[in-house]
Amino acid sequence: MNKKTISSTFLHWLLLIVAVAFAVSMAFSWLMQTRTSQRSAVNLLRLNIQDVQKDVMDASDANLLKITRNVAVQLNANPGVNEAVMEALLELYDIAEINIIDETGIITASTCEDYLGYDMRSGKQSAEFMILLTGSQQELVQNYQPISYDSSTMRKYAAVCLNRGGFVQVAYDAESFHKDISLQVIGATRNRHVGEGGGIIIADEDWIIVSDRNKNEGKNLSITGIMIDRDTMPEGKVFQTLVYGEPCSCMYVLTEGYYIIATMPRNEIVLQRDHSVRITAILEVVIFLALFAEIFWLVRKLVVNSINKVNSSLSKITGGDLEETVDVRSNVEFSSLSDDINATVSTLKQYIAAASAKIDQELAFAKNIQQSALPSVFPPYPDRTDFNHFASMDTAKEVGGDFYDFYLLDEKRLAFLVADVSGKGIPAAMFMMTGKTVLRDYAERGDGIADIFTNSNNKLCDGNDAEMFITAWMGFLETDTGLVRFVNAGHNPPVLIRNGQASFITQKANLTLAAMENVRYREQILNLEPEDLLFLYTDGVTEATNSSEELYGNDRLLQVLSADFSGENACERVCRQVKRSLDDFVGDAPQFDDITMLCLYYSGKKADNRNAAELTVEASVDNLASVLAFVDEQLEKAECSPKSQMQIDVAVEELFVNIASYAYAPSKGDAVISVYFENEPKQAVIEFRDKGFPFDPLKKDDPDVTLSAEDRAIGGLGIFMVKKSMDDIFYRREDGQNILTIKKQI
Amino acid sequence: MNIIKSGEGSALNIALEGRLDTTTAPQLDGEIKASVDGLTELTFDLAGLDYISSAGLRVLLSAQKAMNRQGQMVIRNVKPEIMEIFEVTGFVDILTIE
Repeated sequence: MNKKTISSTFLHWLLLIVAVAFAVSMAFSWLMQTRTSQRSAVNLLRLNIQDVQKDVMDASDANLLKITRNVAVQLNANPGVNEAVMEALLELYDIAEINIIDETGIITASTCEDYLGYDMRSGKQSAEFMILLTGSQQELVQNYQPISYDSSTMRKYAAVCLNRGGFVQVAYDAESFHKDISLQVIGATRNRHVGEGGGIIIADEDWIIVSDRNKNEGKNLSITGIMIDRDTMPEGKVFQTLVYGEPCSCMYVLTEGYYIIATMPRNEIVLQRDHSVRITAILEVVIFLALFAEIFWLVRKLVVNSINKVNSSLSKITGGDLEETVDVRSNVEFSSLSDDINATVSTLKQYIAAASAKIDQELAFAKNIQQSALPSVFPPYPDRTDFNHFASMDTAKEVGGDFYDFYLLDEKRLAFLVADVSGKGIPAAMFMMTGKTVLRDYAERGDGIADIFTNSNNKLCDGNDAEMFITAWMGFLETDTGLVRFVNAGHNPPVLIRNGQASFITQKANLTLAAMENVRYREQILNLEPEDLLFLYTDGVTEATNSSEELYGNDRLLQVLSADFSGENACERVCRQVKRSLDDFVGDAPQFDDITMLCLYYSGKKADNRNAAELTVEASVDNLASVLAFVDEQLEKAECSPKSQMQIDVAVEELFVNIASYAYAPSKGDAVISVYFENEPKQAVIEFRDKGFPFDPLKKDDPDVTLSAEDRAIGGLGIFMVKKSMDDIFYRREDGQNILTIKKQI
Repeated sequence: MNIIKSGEGSALNIALEGRLDTTTAPQLDGEIKASVDGLTELTFDLAGLDYISSAGLRVLLSAQKAMNRQGQMVIRNVKPEIMEIFEVTGFVDILTIE
């Protein structure tokens, strides 16, 4: 999906809304303007008609009144006037009739005989003149209209009071007064404009044009294009028609026998409206553009910019910077959002702190477990004068992937090793524990050192899904001779310090452990001379880095080890010296890798302090009593407890009878039994040696002690009882001898 | 080792004193084999037995097997250190110890 930014979405909608608003307002404005234009056009037409109408009326009123006053002057001068005089006046003024009305409102004299005796009160039109008899008014003019006596006759009347009482009434018909006022009518319309292009046309009752700007006076109105049908086109209402070929709005009234027609071109009306609408449109465009720009700018400023600020802070936070705070205070909403985000981050920080405290605690436990898995009491064999050693491990993290180990395989062989698991932290630490255990298991089984590595490698490869590996250097020191049998599985070469000179033991290494199955490891040898020191380490030493990214390196190591370390605690001093040198070199730079060191000192002095008592007898059951007597004598000297003595006796009996029965059968041979004691824990060590057939009794399966009497085999019980009652038992074959050793705390 | 036999007819009581080991076990084995015919009740009194090795256990096991066929065998007055050996070797489940 194509996602839009807020501002572009906003822009689209705003544009749409503005466009709709513009269209609606324009339509409204157009309608209003149309109506206004129409109305003003109508008003204009009406005003012009009224003006002309007034002019015409004023002219005809003034004309008739003037004639009437003249007639009244004549009559006042000749009170005994007769009808002949009135006829003469009629001729003179070209008027339609003259009536004389007495004080009672009755026509007493008239140029028209029919009217004599007519009561002025009997018609609406004539009754208007009765006002003159009240004395409040001396003159009155009426519009051109049907008369009361005969409604089919149209006349215009005027009346003036007479000195003798009553009044004289003079009437005009259209023909005669049109003649009198035609000049005024033409003058009133010739130069009159309705709007720009409109005008007034006046026609008489016979549709003959009286006045027209186009000078068509005397012609029929139809020449202009105007046709008036009084039934469908009422006076004073607008109608549309073509005037001289131009569409116009027109209006007419009928006044004093004239049709006064005002015309105005439609174009002009529309022009007015279009002009207004255009101006409105321009104004609206300007206003809407300004509004649009303002709103858009506000949205950007108040929303988009704020969101961008919040987003930039959020991306810092998701990038891991939990110290970042959001501080957008441009308005209440963003202020509240900022506070919420800050509160969330702060809560998150608390949870992370709690979680990391828990992890720290667990790591501390793990570190404890790991440290306690490594032998840490030095010297481990205080009564040995033929060798001693010291080891240390400093992990880069709480738990490490390095390890060292050492143990006596028997009285004359010390196993020792240093190893490094690939990687660091908990996975490395777990694999380290496995590696250490596997190596020790195979070593204690009595395998040769090459077999230990071959077997351990296969075991470690099995299920090594994490694809970790271990580099290891392990040696067996034969304390009698100083011979070290060793295997190097991809590990750093150890340093030999002889006469204050340090050098690497550079022999070809084997593949690392756990890298590939079925690798055959080679045993190599190294001869230690008395007073030699052998220094084993992991790459945490040589690859320690200072703040300038320099490595500690082999040369510095050789340099610091090329010194005279002879004297007490040589091994510990070697390790401490290297550590000090490393610390000086590294300075403040953080430790990246585990640093493990093991130093072995070989004195070459024989281990004679065992004070072993030895008895050599023919291996025969007949000698059992003397063997037991010899062993008991040693145990009693060592103040052995009766219970342990009995268990040791049983073990000695079983093992000796075993040798006597099987070692040389069917011929005869000797067995050597030696007894000595170790301290801490105080234990008896009894060794049986014979030169018979190679036989490891420990490999025999244990009997099933849960079977019933009927199913139990006779035999195998003896070794089983020894295994169960002794603290330690091991077998080795050496120099053509079977050597079986048992240990038991006394 | 002293072997003290008592009882009559089909019941035999054997009291052992001292050490029952490789050298003395054949002696006990011989005594039992000599008396086992017709025996329905064999009792060992181990109050005086200080020591037993696998050779002694074997004799007790073969005696138990023989008595399973013709009667019953009971062992009495076992010292704690001997009892521990019976327990370790699973003999407590085979022997009837009172």
